[in-house]
Amino acid sequence: MKKLIGIIFALLSAVFLLPVAATVFRSFYSEGGFTLGGYKDLFFDCFVFYPMFWNSVLYALAITLAQIPVVILCAFGFTWAKFRGKGLIFVFYIILMMMPLQVTILPNYIGLRDMGLINTPWGIILPMIFSPFGVVVMHQYMKNTDASVIEAARLETDSVFRVILVGVVPQLRVCIFAVALFVFAECWNMVEQPMLFLSDGRLKTMSVFISEAGSYTGAVLFPAAVVFLIPVLLLYLFFSDSLEKGLALGELS
Amino acid sequence: MKKMKEKQKKRLKWNTKCVLCLMPSFLGTLAFFVAPFMRVIYYSLIDNQFRRNFVGLDNYIDTLGNRYFLLALKNSLLLIVICVPIVVILALAVSLVLSYGIRWVRKTRAAFVLPLVIPTAGIALIWHGVFAADTSVLPVYLLFIWKNTGICVVLLTAAFTSVDPSLFEAARLDGAGAFTLHKKITVPMVMPTVFFVSLLTIVNSFKIFKEIYLYYGTNYPPDHSYTLQYYMNNNFLKLDYQSLAASAVLTSILIFGIVMAGMALQRRYRQ
Repeated sequence: MKKLIGIIFALLSAVFLLPVAATVFRSFYSEGGFTLGGYKDLFFDCFVFYPMFWNSVLYALAITLAQIPVVILCAFGFTWAKFRGKGLIFVFYIILMMMPLQVTILPNYIGLRDMGLINTPWGIILPMIFSPFGVVVMHQYMKNTDASVIEAARLETDSVFRVILVGVVPQLRVCIFAVALFVFAECWNMVEQPMLFLSDGRLKTMSVFISEAGSYTGAVLFPAAVVFLIPVLLLYLFFSDSLEKGLALGELS
Repeated sequence: MKKMKEKQKKRLKWNTKCVLCLMPSFLGTLAFFVAPFMRVIYYSLIDNQFRRNFVGLDNYIDTLGNRYFLLALKNSLLLIVICVPIVVILALAVSLVLSYGIRWVRKTRAAFVLPLVIPTAGIALIWHGVFAADTSVLPVYLLFIWKNTGICVVLLTAAFTSVDPSLFEAARLDGAGAFTLHKKITVPMVMPTVFFVSLLTIVNSFKIFKEIYLYYGTNYPPDHSYTLQYYMNNNFLKLDYQSLAASAVLTSILIFGIVMAGMALQRRYRQ
């Protein structure tokens, strides 16, 4: 029985890993044999690749770095501020979090157009900074943190920022890593926003490159997909533990 | 007396500061989501952006009568009815074994969680390669199951492992067998999470678009894969903001209804 379950699980996990493995395999395989030709085409002959890669890095990093402070502050406010309608606003955040992108993309577009941010990097970065996912998860997590540490910190200083830095952030390390990784992965994987909000080719991202890679010369499609997977894979290898803990505790309680 | 007043003042100031902490997020949400959404509702009630005649619910009636909207709605609901049970049952089975099974099996967890973060834009390609000859809706369903089982496994495993082992000990001393143990302890403890996970998967089913989009690589997929998101996306590209606004509002109402119904059901179950 134990052996049977073991075999089933080995197979099942292999099936779940298969798409990633197959993508890597396929990037080295073309016209009947093993080759590095695709990578050579991508790295040396495909001049649009590098700017798009760096755009992806820039957008994802900027959004993640800007979102984390906003999220921590907001979750802190939701946990400690007392005012009427707080619960209702939080429910609104949850519902906003559950809306698919196609519902929010027209409001997004209209807002950006009015502000003159269409076809600028800000059009991609700004709305994503305020995506509600991190706030919801972090607030659920923060509810269970040790309040006495915060009380103690309040005796020491008057500044809210000091209190958060000393009393809250150390307790939230796992959750912050989890949210950061998740947000980074989300931004890295954006397809619709760069496609719809950007018309200037120089601003577009790697995900757009992949969706159009068929039109470039050489077999760059799968090598590009592999390069696209690597940053998130590396982050996942380093932070998978905190990702699971952060998400589990955050959503459950 | 004076001291108390001062303390109260300080507390008030503390509360004000906490409220101020909320402001960056509130202002951003207001500017990029709430205010524009009001405009969307306004757009859904006028005939077009230039004449701006108020037409009441005409856009909604048009949308609800639109053949493609109905097709999209049917496909979106079909995805829920077929795939959500599969995802939840698969995740339940996997997390049961991961929580109580042999030690080395637990190491396979990473394999189920990985699809959660892996950028699907890179993965949709291989789907294209493997299922090139398949004209059914199966590849889309598989993609959905592959991507969404992970988060359920994470949440369910956490729920299973948070069941206090001393409860088992106590019940075992009272002479309960393995089956009774799980029926009386594990099931009630885990049920709320199963419920939450089902709701989450339903909501996620509305979020799977770019994967299908990249898989087909076109704005007009086969009929069976044409979901609500396609309908909205194509109206966006056609600059038909009135239809898009109406369908966006309708979809939000649908999702809002599902979430509220789910929460109400859960509250009832708890009582």
